[in-house]
Amino acid sequence: MHVQLFGTCLVDTFFPEVGEAVVRIFDRFGVGFTFPKGQTCCGQPAYNAGYMAEAKGAAEHFISVFGSTSDPIVTPSGSCATMVKHHYPELFRNDPEKLRAAEQVAGRVYELSQFLVNVLRVHETNLTGSGRVTYHSSCHLTRTLGVTEEPLALIEALKGAGFVPMPDAARCCGFGGMFMAKLPEISMAIADDKAQSIIATGADTVTGCDCGCLMNIADALRKRGSSVRVRHIAELVAEGL
Amino acid sequence: MSVNDSVIALFLENAARSAAVVHRAEGAEQLRAKVSEIAAPDEDLFCPLVTELEKAAAAGCTRFVPGYASARVTVEEVSAAIAETGSIVCASSNGKAVQASLLPAHHVAIVPRDRIFATLDDFFAAFATAPPTNITLITGPSRTADIELNLVIGVHGPERLDIIVV
Amino acid sequence: MKTQTSLDFRTNAAAAVEDGALRQAMRNATDTIGTKRSDAMESVDFSALREKASAIRMEVLDNLPAYLERFTAQATKAGASVHRAADAGSANAIIAEILRRNNVRMVAKGKSMISEETHLNAHLEKEGFEVVETDLGEYIIQLAGETPSHILVPAIHKNRQQVGRLFAEKLGVDYSEDPQVLTKIARKALREKFLTADAGISGANFAIAESGSLVLFTNEGNGRMVTSVPPLHIAILSIEKILPSLADLPTFMRLLPRSATGQMLTSYVSILTGNRKEGDATGARELHIVLLDNGRSEIVKGDCREMLKCIRCGACMNVCPVYRTVGGHAYGWTYPGPMGIVLTTLLTGMAESHPLVDASTLCGACNDACPVKVPLQEMILKQRVRRVSEGFSPATVSMGMRLFGAAVNSPLLFSFGERLAGWFWSLLRRVGGENVFGRLPRPAKSPFSRRMP
Repeated sequence: MHVQLFGTCLVDTFFPEVGEAVVRIFDRFGVGFTFPKGQTCCGQPAYNAGYMAEAKGAAEHFISVFGSTSDPIVTPSGSCATMVKHHYPELFRNDPEKLRAAEQVAGRVYELSQFLVNVLRVHETNLTGSGRVTYHSSCHLTRTLGVTEEPLALIEALKGAGFVPMPDAARCCGFGGMFMAKLPEISMAIADDKAQSIIATGADTVTGCDCGCLMNIADALRKRGSSVRVRHIAELVAEGL
Repeated sequence: MSVNDSVIALFLENAARSAAVVHRAEGAEQLRAKVSEIAAPDEDLFCPLVTELEKAAAAGCTRFVPGYASARVTVEEVSAAIAETGSIVCASSNGKAVQASLLPAHHVAIVPRDRIFATLDDFFAAFATAPPTNITLITGPSRTADIELNLVIGVHGPERLDIIVV
Repeated sequence: MKTQTSLDFRTNAAAAVEDGALRQAMRNATDTIGTKRSDAMESVDFSALREKASAIRMEVLDNLPAYLERFTAQATKAGASVHRAADAGSANAIIAEILRRNNVRMVAKGKSMISEETHLNAHLEKEGFEVVETDLGEYIIQLAGETPSHILVPAIHKNRQQVGRLFAEKLGVDYSEDPQVLTKIARKALREKFLTADAGISGANFAIAESGSLVLFTNEGNGRMVTSVPPLHIAILSIEKILPSLADLPTFMRLLPRSATGQMLTSYVSILTGNRKEGDATGARELHIVLLDNGRSEIVKGDCREMLKCIRCGACMNVCPVYRTVGGHAYGWTYPGPMGIVLTTLLTGMAESHPLVDASTLCGACNDACPVKVPLQEMILKQRVRRVSEGFSPATVSMGMRLFGAAVNSPLLFSFGERLAGWFWSLLRRVGGENVFGRLPRPAKSPFSRRMP
């Protein structure tokens, strides 16, 4: 089994430990991987702001970096997986050749928990955990990719840890990419509501599949003086190996 | 229209859920007794007294007023009912004043069992061609949740709706 | 500066975020309606219904001129006078003229978002007519001198204490904060208005082409009052609110109340076909129907035409995390929430309202909630693209995007950018502000890509 790893710009810049956790999981399960050099960003920030020329540029660069192998492309981000899988083909819908290349890449993209559960069946192996874990279900992951069960299966597989659902788990955390910078007052208020939901669960850890969300949530929890740990699902699984 | 018991039961269930008070009566005498029970004897009462059921229903009442505008309660036979939603229907055909079900604080609606339609689609199939000036589907008493989404029954329309299926 | 506009969404929103009472009211409202809506949807197949509803609405939009003609012909045959108003000004003028011709002094008004869009009340009051809002929520905000903050529950931003104080001050009644008591006060105050009004003005939820009927979904009874008690009834609605026939109504009767307030059905559904005729004891003697365009016949030809499927249920704003946080007034115009972003920018133009396109995290909850499958998330994005192409995106953002565009295509530039960010983090934080950079962790000393073979 061989895959291509797309780290994402947030992991690269701010959360390399999440990337390292993914690598540890691959190593443990004998998954060979390539980290295609030259990868940068999926282009979401431009796309979501309506800058389609720049978004197309990012997409073309991604497609050229990841080539046309048949390996799955695995990424620890629901929003980036959505961008490649759903929006790359849309961007090139009027250009048959570029569309073909985009669809080739889109067709083999997996968000990490999708890959770990549906392909590697990691949730059926012996994993350990501790404490009480709650889960934030990020927007693109849930509503566009339709990934709802896989992260929960991974949490359930952590023997020794207990899952406690949070009310309105799929309600937006207020990150929204550039939204957090353009309308920070609203972003922080929404994040605070999410932090309160998390704190109300009594959990000691909150997990999720998107670093953008987790970063925003961590800030809100910090502002509330909470000691709830914030961990990407990759980190919880790697810790439990 | 022959209406089976399960349709009537569904109508009564849904009407009750909408905060209407539901009753059944078999025949003129029971209907009269029900109406006397529901409409307080000291309330000014309006009844069109056009249909047989209306005449039977109001047989025991004494405080009639000629116009619904000054009545405290209207007792009338309605045009139809719909089981799917628990609604009664007032239509303006044959010179009926639909406002009689709006202005007084208390509305008592007599529903002949063979006028109960199972679904909304069935109802509209019957009324779709050349509808009268006014068709009003009434589902429970008037209500609002405009203040803090707190439900209050009885706003501008009737505060109480009684439905008697005969 | 091209991007300057009076609609300062960010400032409005920031103020709203600080308003504790508003935040609490919005949380209470959206959570309550959210639960009621999900409970109500359990008794229907939402997915199947919304497919059907969307198809019916698209059929109308695809053939709008023909349906408008049919409706006009049928309504006229039934005894109504139908008027076409190109824009807000002409709608207001038509209505004022009808009132003047009939020597109207006082108008009892039912809820109509279209009349908010045209600022009808202000125009009529300027022309010397007394206008009394009779929907409880609209009555409250009329007393308070405010505009609605939600398309269905206009006074949702007020708590009971605020309403109690308002009634005590404006109506001279004893203070009460009991919604029951406050409602009865309004019932008493408005009953006299219904009975003495010279005219009633209402909106309409739908217009039925085949029969020329108007359909109103209401709960309070005021909608029934203003459309049947005064001798003159004027209905104002926008041109896209048409359904082909009465047989199409059940689909919307199953969807609209559930989506809007979580009810199975509103207390009243009124189907009004023409004026009072020979032998009738019900209906206004004179019925006027004003059909407002205000840019919609252009919108229906464009790439955001599906916005006109909207049936004004409010479900999208009820699930929107931004609306839940800031309430409706921050949006600065008639329509708030996701549908407000799209409709406002379409109707008033980018120059006026472009800041609204940022009022979304693109979370997609609105798409899931919409009973007629309006692709709101996609259309908000379309409007963002339009903002850029029409030149209303701030120069700083465009410059930043160009830099971003260069960096994503050049791994060398990209990693240099990462390193720069790391070196100048403290400066970036000072310049960019705690509210943005202060919420991000410091960039890692060694980016992940550097650790990869």
